[in-house]
Amino acid sequence: MAELKNCMLPDSLLYHVDFNVWIQKNEDGTLDLGMTDIAQSMAGNIIHCRPKKVGKYVKAGKSVATVESGKWVGPVKTPFAGEIVAANREVENDATILNRSPYKQGWIVRIQPSNFDENSGDLVSGDDAISGFDSYMAEKEIGDCKHCEGFEG
Amino acid sequence: MSIYKDAKYQDVPYEEKQKLFQEVKDDLRWKSVMYGCYECGICVAACPSARFYDFSPRVFAQVMGREDVDTFYELLNDSVWDCSQCFSCTRCPRENNPGAIITIMREVAVNHGLSSAKKALQAYSRIIYKIMSTGTQVAPDMLQPDFFPDWGPDVKDVSDNLDVWRRAVPPETMHTTELAWDVSEKTRLELYMIWKLTGNLEMIENIDEGIFMILEEVMEELLEEHGYDIDDFENVLED
Repeated sequence: MAELKNCMLPDSLLYHVDFNVWIQKNEDGTLDLGMTDIAQSMAGNIIHCRPKKVGKYVKAGKSVATVESGKWVGPVKTPFAGEIVAANREVENDATILNRSPYKQGWIVRIQPSNFDENSGDLVSGDDAISGFDSYMAEKEIGDCKHCEGFEG
Repeated sequence: MSIYKDAKYQDVPYEEKQKLFQEVKDDLRWKSVMYGCYECGICVAACPSARFYDFSPRVFAQVMGREDVDTFYELLNDSVWDCSQCFSCTRCPRENNPGAIITIMREVAVNHGLSSAKKALQAYSRIIYKIMSTGTQVAPDMLQPDFFPDWGPDVKDVSDNLDVWRRAVPPETMHTTELAWDVSEKTRLELYMIWKLTGNLEMIENIDEGIFMILEEVMEELLEEHGYDIDDFENVLED
């Protein structure tokens, strides 16, 4: 797992830097989507996560979930248009999972993309992800990642 | 030239500063908030922010009265966010209202999406979201240890048992943790119509595209549920 300023970035995932989300492509063509370690650090202690309903069609660049911490609220944006085929009810019940395990237990929605190839150009991985997030953090003046609930992957 | 030696916005063209200055003076409220300042300092003496920050409501009255466009622009990007909007300064013997001058200036800063305004409001995104989606500002569950370290260890106890604490409050409408009190659907519907018709929702888009996206979805969902077409709102406004 790559590390940047105490932020964990698993090598196996794809990232959309501007949306601050990770994507995992599944064998059946669906995509799992969640917040990065950087995103959870920016939010602080997360108290609510409300994924959109299963069956809902979302456009690219739109929100698939709303995340709230003490004083912050923001959307989790998808780089892909498609139908939400599953939503993680565990994070709805205990949103601190997103702080603790943003990449494993903290997946937020599963999407059946309308056209993966059309929107995949903005995704990065490996060294490109590291340099992309390095610039993103510098631009937004973000300090090191914090694991307020520990880090379980 | 600004009165500040360390003026940060000297490179911004004067015409741009003048445009925003004029926008403040063209506001409908302007004529009832500024009558001329004789610099007695009563507003500063009454101002709680002046005690804790390098902030003075009198400077706003003076700078606007003197039409010091350069210093206005410095204030617009910095000191304007130090005011707590308590309006203690309205005890001015000339009936100036520096707090209201600041209200107008903040609106101009927001309408123009100034990066200083975005930065100042960044920490308050959930408060903006709560006010605009529910009409209540402070949610009990904002009491989180990482946001209120100054409250000491008690805040963790409160946040861990928030539901119990809230149920101890006598009115049932306050047995809430995500909202200050229960808000009826009718109230929220009226609120959303007001935000849409007054253009307040668009104001938010200039400041935080993320909150705008969430609010628009929440509002449209409820409006549609009640049979209101979003396009109809524009027709109502035109009428």
